Amino acid sequence: MEHHSSKQYDNELEAIRSKVLLMGGIVETQYQDAMACFRVSSPERADKVVADDAQVNQLEVQLDDACSHLIVRRQPTANDLRTVMATIKVITDLERIGDEATKIARTAKALHERGPVAIGHFDMMRTIATLTGDMLHDALDAFARLDGDQALRLIDKDAQVDHEFRTIMRSLITFMMEDPRTISSALDTLWVAKAIERIGDHAKNIAEYVIYIVEGRDIRHTRPSQPSPDPTQA
Amino acid sequence: MNTMNPVYRKRLFRHRVGIALSVMAMSVGLVFLFWILATLIMKGFGGLSVALFTESTPAPGSEGGGLWNAIFGSFMMVGLSTLVSTPVGILAGIYLAEYGNENKFASVTRFVTDIMLSAPSIVIGLFVYAMYVAHVKHYSGYAGSIALSLIAIPVIVRTTDNMLRLVPTALLEAAYALGAPKWKVAMMVRLRAVKAGVITGVLLAVARVSGETAPLLFTALNNQFFSKDMNAPMANLPVVIYQFAMSPYDNWRDLAWGGALIVTFAVLALNILSRTVFSQKAPH
Amino acid sequence: MTKTIEIKGLNFFYGKTQSLSNVNLDIHDKKVTAFIGPSGCGKSTLLRTLNRMYDLYPGQRAEGSILYKGRNILEPGTDLNMLRAKIGMVFQKPTPFPMSIYDNIAFGVRLYEDLSRGEMDERVEWALNKAALWTEVKDKLNKSGLSLSGGQQQRLCIARGVAVKPDVLLLDEPTSALDPISTAKIEELISELKQDYTIAIVTHNMQQAARCSDYTAYMYLGELVEFGETDQLFMNPARKETQDYITGRFG
Repeated sequence: MEHHSSKQYDNELEAIRSKVLLMGGIVETQYQDAMACFRVSSPERADKVVADDAQVNQLEVQLDDACSHLIVRRQPTANDLRTVMATIKVITDLERIGDEATKIARTAKALHERGPVAIGHFDMMRTIATLTGDMLHDALDAFARLDGDQALRLIDKDAQVDHEFRTIMRSLITFMMEDPRTISSALDTLWVAKAIERIGDHAKNIAEYVIYIVEGRDIRHTRPSQPSPDPTQA
Repeated sequence: MNTMNPVYRKRLFRHRVGIALSVMAMSVGLVFLFWILATLIMKGFGGLSVALFTESTPAPGSEGGGLWNAIFGSFMMVGLSTLVSTPVGILAGIYLAEYGNENKFASVTRFVTDIMLSAPSIVIGLFVYAMYVAHVKHYSGYAGSIALSLIAIPVIVRTTDNMLRLVPTALLEAAYALGAPKWKVAMMVRLRAVKAGVITGVLLAVARVSGETAPLLFTALNNQFFSKDMNAPMANLPVVIYQFAMSPYDNWRDLAWGGALIVTFAVLALNILSRTVFSQKAPH
Repeated sequence: MTKTIEIKGLNFFYGKTQSLSNVNLDIHDKKVTAFIGPSGCGKSTLLRTLNRMYDLYPGQRAEGSILYKGRNILEPGTDLNMLRAKIGMVFQKPTPFPMSIYDNIAFGVRLYEDLSRGEMDERVEWALNKAALWTEVKDKLNKSGLSLSGGQQQRLCIARGVAVKPDVLLLDEPTSALDPISTAKIEELISELKQDYTIAIVTHNMQQAARCSDYTAYMYLGELVEFGETDQLFMNPARKETQDYITGRFG
């Protein structure tokens, strides 16, 4: 992409971009750590996830501020405008992902504190956890490289995540009906599954914003569709 | 600022020398100007009296007398030539400004005007003598007016043309953009924008011809008596000054100085008038 | 939606130099069409073909066709004065005539209409109201047009243009020489005037084009690069060159 006549403008955009990627990296780490301490009890790791969230929240505030300044100073148009608009929305989704990861870590900590878990809690989550982890990674990657095709592919995965969630819910209901002693663990597991499903939704949102930047189409709230011809080469 | 800096000091020195030379040059000019004016006033003031404006030029050897006939004659001839040359000059100036870039005729006109501007006035006088006076076989105030007009017209054409060209094209385009035809743009917008400047041009032409002597020598000649007949030789200040200044009679010489004073101050007054009342800055 | 002016295959030459190449676009009725582009791209040249202003200068010529009310105004034999009475122009530098404010407005009207004194008074008041200048000058209509401030002078020129009741108003960078407050007043004026007049505006201020116009044309080196609805062009332009220009990415 060519540079602006104003180097300052380029620098400002780049600063925002790197900060978003930094935020995405922290959030991804939060997720991985949270899943790790769900699998096996590790209270320190859980505490780390919580601590990371403070940094994520701070980044959200800084980035919103940086975007406002860019708008006031540069009056961006066309793809620059879409980039800034999308960035503002992406950081919201990233911050929510951080919150969900924090919830997972807290729930996991409480779950393990109660004692050994009777149900195969992690095994049943393996699929959804991996799917969502991939979605999150791909979404951040697509944003970094402004890759519209990658974004579209991961949007399709969200249906799978929803399907997995429903499967997990059914299994857990079965567990709870068969043995009431498992109810606490099962409910904790359900919350974690719900959090993971929400993280998947946020990743899908990020992908939709990538398409908005690249193609100028707002595909939120529409059915997944074919990629349209790309009128602007990024 | 470092005044010990040698480069700066050299520059300052040169600056001061330049200023000093300019002031000296100006003083030289001013000295002569004031000397002339002072001489005029001293020599001419004594001759100023009411009689100057009421009595006609005296016969050789007689006492007293005035310049009334000459003043009147000059006034008539300059007046008539102004009346003739102003519309001709202004219209020609308008033509040149509007069409000057478009056709051959206009560029030729401009060229001829420039030549006429610098033509020696005695040649103009001779021309009118040969073409008119010799045919009608008498001198006349009309002939004098013709000669003065021929001198005034190029001046007025030039100043009108120059002033009109100062009008910014944006203003003209604005008038055309409303659908105005060419002549309306020329008269109502272009001319009006510089009317003070054009009037100045006319005043300066008048000042110029007021003092012309040579052309009148061959056309109006002179007349010792008061006359209102333009079709006969007519008294006028410049020729009277010429004749009386070299004469042996004291009263004639005094009258000559008085006349010179009048002419000079008339020209001065016209110049001051054009600079103050009719001063015009370039439009926009 | 009707098209007031249709430009087809327009080429323009200053002597031997071609400064407009094969321009095709339509000016829509009672809409504001803005022309943007870097200096020398031909936007002012294009504007000045619409009222044959270039005719004042020998050596400038246009080829192609510009249809106004079904007739090609580039044809020889077109009555230029009548054309300019219907397609008016306001220039970058405010150019009040050296006359009173009243006469400034009346000048154009008197060219083509024979109004009584009372009718002329009404027309002058109407025009000055249209230009949002009436309240400021109604007590000094006899003062020279040059006695007004820059912004007021420009509004006077706009009033002068609308007084003759044209169909189209061509505005050539009308606010370039004005301060921000005068600029804002005139932009406000444009949005009101477009209810009655078709407007074409050349501007080097892209934000002004984005604010004021319904359609925008981006020109570069004498060619029309892109033409479309303003919102669309500024949010998601079809051509990369357009995007590069409006985002400030120059080579």
